[in-house]
Amino acid sequence: MGRSLKKGPFVEPHLLEKIDKMNNSGVKKPVKTWSRRSMVTPDFVGHTFLVHNGKIFQSVFVTENMVGHKLGEFSPTRIFKKHGSHTAKVTK
Amino acid sequence: MPRLLGVEIPADKRIEASLTYIYGVGPSTAKRVLEQTNIDPNLRAKDLTPQQINEIIQMITSNKLPIEGDLRREVQSNLKRLQAINCYRGIRHRRGLPVRGQRTSTNARTRKGPRKTVGVIRNKDAKAGKV
Repeated sequence: MGRSLKKGPFVEPHLLEKIDKMNNSGVKKPVKTWSRRSMVTPDFVGHTFLVHNGKIFQSVFVTENMVGHKLGEFSPTRIFKKHGSHTAKVTK
Repeated sequence: MPRLLGVEIPADKRIEASLTYIYGVGPSTAKRVLEQTNIDPNLRAKDLTPQQINEIIQMITSNKLPIEGDLRREVQSNLKRLQAINCYRGIRHRRGLPVRGQRTSTNARTRKGPRKTVGVIRNKDAKAGKV
């Protein structure tokens, strides 16, 4: 079920604060975040996020098309490796 | 066989049914269009007067219903956008797997197509004990 329009999009407050600060001062630095549930707002465009996927921080560069999606959609949590090819990399 | 909006050629079925042969017009849209134009849905498509045909065409175009090529293009561009931004849904579309969280251990045959057996791909180094 979708989120009620009445409430508006959800963005983690601390993330919003950080972006606001960067937009005001004009510096662009990758933002490390665990908040996969935050919606991408128009303010985010042009920033780079390091979105945690449970293991590593995937870097996500936000473009205009991504507005309205959640940050987590761009940082997959599962990796599919081929069947049966048990290399050291996979089994680790 | 009357021609509607370019290539559409519905047969001698009831118009309510033959309108649905247009890509982008389903049963409910067909019903609504006929209601608004006051045409009996039980009429056969071949029995329509040119005036009635014009009315139907006008109703569809004036309501800005996306149809045929335009609709197909719209769908394609939506898919393209999802794939371009590299989001989860785009990736699932690219891999031809279900997009909305269905299980894939079994079923999902509509998306995955006919079953194909996947054999084990042996690692060349496995036997040599290098791994």
